[in-house]
Amino acid sequence: MKRLFGEFWLSGAAALTLFLFAAALPALAQEAQEGKATQHGATQAKTQAVPKGGPAPRTADGHPDLSGVWFPGTAGGFTFNPALRRQFDPKVTPEEPPPFQPWAAVKIKAMTSTDYELGRASVNCLPRGVPGMFMIDPYPFQLVQTPGLFIQLDELNNNWRVVHTDGRPHSEEPDPSFDGDEVGHWDGDTLVIDVIGIDERTWNNFTGWFHSDEEHVIERISRPSMNYLVYQVTIEDPKVLTKPWTSAPRVWTLGHEDLLEYYCTNNQDVEQYKALKAKESGGDSKK
Amino acid sequence: MQHRLPGVLVAVLGFLAWALPLSAHHSFAAEFDANKCMDLTGTFTSFEWQNPHGYFHLDVKDPSGNVTLWTFETVSLSTLKRSGTQRKDFADNVGKTVTVRACLAKNGEKNRAAAETIKFPDGQVHRIGQDVEGKFSDNAKEY
Repeated sequence: MKRLFGEFWLSGAAALTLFLFAAALPALAQEAQEGKATQHGATQAKTQAVPKGGPAPRTADGHPDLSGVWFPGTAGGFTFNPALRRQFDPKVTPEEPPPFQPWAAVKIKAMTSTDYELGRASVNCLPRGVPGMFMIDPYPFQLVQTPGLFIQLDELNNNWRVVHTDGRPHSEEPDPSFDGDEVGHWDGDTLVIDVIGIDERTWNNFTGWFHSDEEHVIERISRPSMNYLVYQVTIEDPKVLTKPWTSAPRVWTLGHEDLLEYYCTNNQDVEQYKALKAKESGGDSKK
Repeated sequence: MQHRLPGVLVAVLGFLAWALPLSAHHSFAAEFDANKCMDLTGTFTSFEWQNPHGYFHLDVKDPSGNVTLWTFETVSLSTLKRSGTQRKDFADNVGKTVTVRACLAKNGEKNRAAAETIKFPDGQVHRIGQDVEGKFSDNAKEY
């Protein structure tokens, strides 16, 4: 077996270990069909959008099977082309700006581009959390679906999350965490994940969208065809927003290569930005 | 399969993009100055193959013969590998002369820059950083 399969220690009602063999089989089969010889993800940049690819596969319990390695955009892999990286067309599915309360809008407007960098959790190699794992993550992730479980393995920072999809309620008074207290259920062919208790260090975009301890995230994930995954999120935050905000539906496409190891170990940028911030404090606050 | 770009092809790719996944970790434009970019030729002395950015170092000799050690930042290893630059490309060129197109850090730190491209002794030009100057595409500020 030429591929490597990760072993992940998952905590739940009882701790269990899952091997990812089954989830990787479809990707292996398709890679073999294309006759490619990739090694741990090393490949060439993609230049074309992938076709829809026929109907989505389904699991034995009848739900669409979301499993696969998914790349943001329509290329099914890494690409230089911005048109292929784009995840939605604002002319077709416009997305309103976040409806910030006035105090929040003022706070964000006062931020400089350096503040944006220093304010992100990721500048310190911290997780992007939920919904950042989808909304501000330009790297691929692998989804593994089993009856009752949704497992997301992010290349970025080697982050992962496990969501029960049996409709169970939230924990009572969950501690804040980067991925939050998350529970899932199926709404027809769409997996709905409801998330509360999200660590306030995470942002919802790259430009200062901070949130409160009352943030409530509703994620909707579907696989309309073999090669496409669609994600849409609604964010409620009565302390920061004037009303709920819903994203445009965003697309990912099926890749045929392994995730790469991506432990964020030494981000020297943070020191660079601190020095830049100190330089700017003299009055230069270029946005 | 390697994805090595001859100079002509680099020019062709100028019409393509260079933004989101390549600079996924942060905005290079926020950290580096697009108005202070230059070609630097020197000896490739060492590198750090790590995330979220790779780094490498050049001994650069100025016209008067003084040698200065420079540090260059690249995109993440995921992006390097998927766009055709492997660790071996760096390792095989330690001690050799390369030319780097790079842009200085905005914070004023000397001898530190974001690498855009590197030309190895075999003539191959690799894109290893974000397009700070916007030569290849518009620059995606959000990343």
